[in-house]
Amino acid sequence: MKPTGLLFFPAFDWAISPSHPEREERLLYTRDQIFEEGIMDLPQIREYQPQLASPRDIARVHFCVPSIERIATEAHLVSAGGAIVIGDAFMKGEIKNGFAIIRPPGHHAMTVAHGNRGFCNINNEAIMIEYLRRKYGLRRITIVDTDVHHGDGTQEIYYHDPDVLFISFHQDGRTLYPGSGFVEELGWPPAWGTTINIPLAPYTTDEGILYTIDKLILPLLEEFKPELVVNSAGQDNHYSDPLANMLFTAGGYAELNRRLAPHIAVLEGGYSVESALPYINLALIMAMAGIDSSNLREPDFDRSAFREAPGNMERLKKIAVLQLENFRRREEEQAAQMKKHGDFFSAQRRIYYDTDNISENQEIRQRLCKRCGSYRVIDSAAMHAGGERYRVLCFSISLYSCENCREEARTAYRDSIERALGNYDYIYLQDRAADEYFCFDCSSDDELEVGGQRPEIGGD
Amino acid sequence: MLLGIDVGGTSTDGVLIHNGTMEKSVKKQHSGGGLTESILEVLDELLKERDAAGVRRLVISTTLVTNLLATRSGARTALILIPGRGLPFSFYKITPDTYFLQGNIDFRGKITEKTSEAEINTVIENIKENGIRHIAVAAKFSHRNRSLEQEVAGAIRERYPEAKVTLGSETADRLNFPRRAATAYYSAMTAPQWNEFASRVEEAIQRRGLTAPVEILKADGGTMPLAVSRQRPLETAYSGPAASTMGAVAISPGKENAVMIDIGGTTSDIALLIEGEPLHASRGACIDGRFTHIHALALRSLALGGDSAIKAWEGRVEIAAERLGPAACFGGPAATVTDAFNCHGSLGIGDAELSKSAVAELASTLNMAPRELAAAVVEQVTARLHALIEGMFREWENEPAYKVWEIVNRRSFKLERLIGIGGAAAMIVPLLAERMGVPFTVHRLAPVANALGAAVARPTLAVHLYADTQQKRFVIDQEGIEGPIPNHATFQLAGAEELALEHLARLAEKKGAGSYAKEARVELAEQFNMIRGWSRVGKIFQVRVQIAPGLINEFKGVGV
Repeated sequence: MKPTGLLFFPAFDWAISPSHPEREERLLYTRDQIFEEGIMDLPQIREYQPQLASPRDIARVHFCVPSIERIATEAHLVSAGGAIVIGDAFMKGEIKNGFAIIRPPGHHAMTVAHGNRGFCNINNEAIMIEYLRRKYGLRRITIVDTDVHHGDGTQEIYYHDPDVLFISFHQDGRTLYPGSGFVEELGWPPAWGTTINIPLAPYTTDEGILYTIDKLILPLLEEFKPELVVNSAGQDNHYSDPLANMLFTAGGYAELNRRLAPHIAVLEGGYSVESALPYINLALIMAMAGIDSSNLREPDFDRSAFREAPGNMERLKKIAVLQLENFRRREEEQAAQMKKHGDFFSAQRRIYYDTDNISENQEIRQRLCKRCGSYRVIDSAAMHAGGERYRVLCFSISLYSCENCREEARTAYRDSIERALGNYDYIYLQDRAADEYFCFDCSSDDELEVGGQRPEIGGD
Repeated sequence: MLLGIDVGGTSTDGVLIHNGTMEKSVKKQHSGGGLTESILEVLDELLKERDAAGVRRLVISTTLVTNLLATRSGARTALILIPGRGLPFSFYKITPDTYFLQGNIDFRGKITEKTSEAEINTVIENIKENGIRHIAVAAKFSHRNRSLEQEVAGAIRERYPEAKVTLGSETADRLNFPRRAATAYYSAMTAPQWNEFASRVEEAIQRRGLTAPVEILKADGGTMPLAVSRQRPLETAYSGPAASTMGAVAISPGKENAVMIDIGGTTSDIALLIEGEPLHASRGACIDGRFTHIHALALRSLALGGDSAIKAWEGRVEIAAERLGPAACFGGPAATVTDAFNCHGSLGIGDAELSKSAVAELASTLNMAPRELAAAVVEQVTARLHALIEGMFREWENEPAYKVWEIVNRRSFKLERLIGIGGAAAMIVPLLAERMGVPFTVHRLAPVANALGAAVARPTLAVHLYADTQQKRFVIDQEGIEGPIPNHATFQLAGAEELALEHLARLAEKKGAGSYAKEARVELAEQFNMIRGWSRVGKIFQVRVQIAPGLINEFKGVGV
């Protein structure tokens, strides 16, 4: 039996600020617990060490404003690089599954990144997934976001991509940051129905969440048939988490992962650093490695304290029925919407960066093509914390674009540079099909290619 | 006079150092006699026509515990575990005589579940009924709170006073409960025979009029007094390679990044020196497939030596793992690695004509010229050693790191020298060094470098401190030292380091290492702010200070 890969990167020398939930102490007790258990010595476990993600790995997902260097610090590169290492180990067949216990987290980071929102700068899962798609030709992927906060960054990154089924359960957006993740958010026309949100009422217990896994998430996986299942593994549904109001337990997390059986889990949030994280992380490891976790529970655990409200179960049943129905009629609905919108679908939105206090306005145009994933154009303007204003234009070509759409996007990129319409500071081109990434600096008229191929991982 | 004696696989070696330089060496092939006898035989040979009263220090490196572990002939030992919550208990069942107790300590040393007196008593009665007289007790996180282990020890003293008890918290200083349990278990198991050996050595030394301190070499390349070894017998395991490595340190021309390569009859041991200091295994010594908390050198072994037989296998030359006898040039039955090197480099070892004919005979079965075959063997030997050494560099470079700084600034091993010791080093190491493009040293003392290493190794001692200012207490891994933190509100990392160094100096004085206490250095210094809500409620510190392996001050070098 192949081992479970474990990459533990607690970033003991990194914090957003000294008393911030994302501080050095966050994984200290987790370190103590998993090392005291001797987890790394077990034959069921193989430990991996992170490498730095390259600028190209990041440019494949993000438009960092003004530059990758300004948005992704060394800590972010190591964290994203950690997810990549585990992804690589899985794809090479060295491990049966893998868990990257990494920080800083990433699931609130969106395609355009002006700064930190929800403690995240760059999206670790998306960076890993796009790396794996590029290197191994993977296409169909499911991300199950089990963090208590809606994974709005990951959702946004894949909102147009019908090959990525993004499922998120989280505490209802009316009661918690980031205030999104409602059932109506189902994806843009070409990908309608491949974003599935499950807003949970506060105080939902193991029973409610496991019901959702069994009756909604597992059937979705069964029908979607992904080549890779990624758990965006937040740990803040725990009853002791200081930033949320759910009643999930470490045992519940173990069971969730046993049933979900993700190929890769990547740590996201979870801020009950002493009362929950050591136990949840251990629970996850044990579940993924196939180790019985019945001897694991929190010291203050009291089974009788957590009963699911009958009304809530009714509500969860309704959501499961509704979302399964939405998912099953997705192709029909996609076709209808594509027809309705013609060549382009466009939308506008405002994005708030809570950590860095940045307000961003975006206008997005998605090219609709019957044959391919085509391309997106994002026009984004934001004032950064230092008072600098940036307006940028971003062209993102799908990995699965047809030759026509690709050429059309590249031409549009060139045209916008030449005409310099709209007084942009930077114009970016993300050509995933060619794996080429450019940044045009409008003030100096310089075009830079994002380089830095990361050396091959491992070596056989 | 300083004496060093190392019991090896085939011989016991001894050296005598006088006025800073080596004056005499002895090599005795093992005969039928016991281990203690061969040590005393070498000791007597070293002291022949000399005054025993002039000996200022005697260091012994012995395979006693290594052998007990290899042959599983230690005393029957019961293992009482308090694992608390986490992995299933079945993961910790090292021996059929494992007993489990309830109770739980968390990562901050807080007791979250008590032990049951009735349960403890039942377990003790069971052990007693089974006639087991040696007991190891280990609890999860007991290095942060010893009280549960001590409760059990107290109950054993009361209800089964004849039993000998070893506690996990006395034998291990860091995180990793399974390693702590294994360390306590193997310590308890090997203690009776070790103590018997220690008593016999003490008595024999006295009889010879030696008044000098007797030290025992440990797996980490340092020494400890014979009396201390009675509490920590397991640390004497695997001291053989440590002796060789310290020998390499002694004959090394400077504080370099070097590879120590000890090539004997059938095995090669390889260790790394980093700026002249031996590198330790990050996982601790492995016994019977289980990791322990014994500090041991990072060592790689290869079943390849001067006596390894050369064979034809499917039309190719192969070096066999086994020994059929000595090399052909020494009258052995078949061609060996030594014979191939002998022909390849015209080294004139033994009867070179015998080497030639053995190699030629094998070559003819392969339709090769003898010259070709010898070259192929040289290539294989150096290539295998080279690959193993490179693998060790990569492993060191990729040691687990948990800080951004460490990942961004990954280190790389810059090799400066090969140091060859052991009987077959002189013929192999020069060619290996040429292949790797580095200078080498094969000293004239290489054949007894192991005993030399034992003679000149200095004592080592490490102290691990864990301090939690919210709980206002600190705990040190040795001798049950713990207490309140002085000025906990203003206690800082510098204070924690100072506190650890203070305790190290005190312990070093007690353990005969006082003169090296000022050379102790901080190996690990961690601090974490504990934030609850948005304010700081305390700090957690972890500090490890140690007197690292090195050479005694009296040693002035061996010359060239």
